[in-house]
Amino acid sequence: MASHQLIDAYLGSVAPRLPADTVDELADGLTETYRRHRRAGLDADTAARSAVREFGAPDLVVAAFVRQSAGRRTARALMSTGPLVGLCWAATLAAGHAWRWPVPVLVRIATAATLLTVIAALALAATARTWRRTRIAALAGLGLVALDATLVAAVVALRPGFVWPMVLAVPASLARLAFTARFLLRARAS
Amino acid sequence: MRSDAQALKGHLDVLLLATLEDGPRHGYAVKEALREGSGGRFDLPTGTVYPALHRLADAGLIAGTWSVTDGRRRRSYRLTAAGKRKLAGERANWREFAAAVTTLLEGVPWPATS
Repeated sequence: MASHQLIDAYLGSVAPRLPADTVDELADGLTETYRRHRRAGLDADTAARSAVREFGAPDLVVAAFVRQSAGRRTARALMSTGPLVGLCWAATLAAGHAWRWPVPVLVRIATAATLLTVIAALALAATARTWRRTRIAALAGLGLVALDATLVAAVVALRPGFVWPMVLAVPASLARLAFTARFLLRARAS
Repeated sequence: MRSDAQALKGHLDVLLLATLEDGPRHGYAVKEALREGSGGRFDLPTGTVYPALHRLADAGLIAGTWSVTDGRRRRSYRLTAAGKRKLAGERANWREFAAAVTTLLEGVPWPATS
């Protein structure tokens, strides 16, 4: 009464597509469902079929995990707020004549390349249909933290003179830094 | 019933929190509490309850702890302080909302405003 081949097949179907802890949790729930049906008097095959049906199709369950994953949701939040933060920084850099700031060309190129990479990685994570792809959000988060820290540090270190869009851009970046760092810390812990 | 599942969408989080009010439960027990507590109306696919629980854990509203039962690893969830506050707030909001809808649907006169 411990298990059934239908349950093993179900778990075998979701195991490559979800984290090991999640699969253990699903295995416990599925086995518990199966045992409840057995205790209610169903034979092993009927109990296993009922348990699997109650659980929902493997694709449905994996899709629900992906849709509700912290990586995908965080990537979506960052993608939706990104243009606004970007606009604040564009206004700050334009008003502060950033092209005159004493920043080496290599740093400028690296910053632009990081920005493009972060946007691409966030887009991939935000539209993820597999668990593996939601993990790209952590990589994008690291890049975004580096970008925000660089921009704020540049303003502090170079003291380009006050321009009003800074009032929006710096707090926006600090808030995003805190939000992204929190996500990264939770992702590392889980 | 499909319409019940649709209606549940906006309220699933608070209902899941409510199932943990009396103490920790594992995922399957949460699903069963939801089904039994609703007289069978909210009978979700069990596998889709787990992602919702993970989302609530990510939000800090519930916390999971692992144990071993019958040789299987089992994660049980309990309400956090933030989860208890959220549940209390949502319950108060629901009571106000339900009272207003009942007033409208049952034709009770609106209270005088002056």
